[in-house]
Amino acid sequence: MNGVITVGMADYKTATAPELLLTAGLGSCIGICIHDPVLKVGGMAHIMLPTANGSLGGNPAKYADTALELLLKEISSMGANKSRLRAKMAGGAQMFSFPGKPPVLKIGDRNAEAVEQELKKHKIPLLVADVGGSFGRTIHFDVGTGELRIRTINHGEKVV
Amino acid sequence: MKVTQFQLDALREIGNVGSGHAATALSTLLQRRIDMSVPEVWAVEFEQVSAIVGQLDTPQAVIYVKVEGEASGKAVFFFPVESAEIVVQALFGTSEPMDLYSDEMAQSALKEVGNILVSSFIMALTQFSGIPLQPSVPALAVDMIGASLDAIFLEEGVLDDTVLFIDTQLTGIPKIEGQFIFLPDDGSLNKLLEAMGV
Repeated sequence: MNGVITVGMADYKTATAPELLLTAGLGSCIGICIHDPVLKVGGMAHIMLPTANGSLGGNPAKYADTALELLLKEISSMGANKSRLRAKMAGGAQMFSFPGKPPVLKIGDRNAEAVEQELKKHKIPLLVADVGGSFGRTIHFDVGTGELRIRTINHGEKVV
Repeated sequence: MKVTQFQLDALREIGNVGSGHAATALSTLLQRRIDMSVPEVWAVEFEQVSAIVGQLDTPQAVIYVKVEGEASGKAVFFFPVESAEIVVQALFGTSEPMDLYSDEMAQSALKEVGNILVSSFIMALTQFSGIPLQPSVPALAVDMIGASLDAIFLEEGVLDDTVLFIDTQLTGIPKIEGQFIFLPDDGSLNKLLEAMGV
């Protein structure tokens, strides 16, 4: 049996093949998955907001920018080569809409944009972005193969 | 902010009164006797919510309203899909299965029931604090509970880190349980507690 490592809200974890990383019930949050396909190690971060905005204190794993930095540091310390790293992400939904009121601020979209930008900054290719919609996602990431399994309640299941 | 045991006891009392209102409203709506009790009240930081909610990808029906007024915030009532289905069936007087994911009639009924329940708790908050609070129109999601809650926590505005949870149990219809959450905007919880004198 493969070990499954659960990543909580505002949390990040790393793993070595054949371990799987899991985060459950992503709404407007985003699960960022990174792996080195040669060394077969990787990690996952469950971010809640786009940027820490330089604010000290609080949990750095909550924000796209600071969480990615922490995650990359830990993956590198496992021996991964930064130039081989690849990324996938899922989440960033908009779960609610109020009749007659356009959402002022779509936090899911902003999260997805922030993750994209941060990955670009670190020159890590983003292979899959399964974001948006109005439904929750639970994701399993295989750090060995880079397979990302995305499960929903009413919008099917897929592996990307 | 830190909530003391004494303050929690006061909040539990609000929960009791709120669930009393909710039970009365639901009894009228469903034409049968419903009782509600509040076994547990918690004030936690929102990153610890999963410790209370349990499995974050369990499907639950979530009714969400924004609360305006001097102690603004967000109010949420959620219950397992099976519980929601039983309530909607009772409302329509049917034992046919209902698809809460796509049946608009069922969803609209559910939204209304949820709205009544949420408003009951808001009414209790106002009663105890004397601060008038106005709920917005309700929004509904039937999906993974973690997904719905994270969206509510993160949507606009600065929230206090503290989330107030009131667990409720309904008796009168078998196997129904639900939870009410109040997410105070920054400073609101303080205002409420102060107004209550605790």
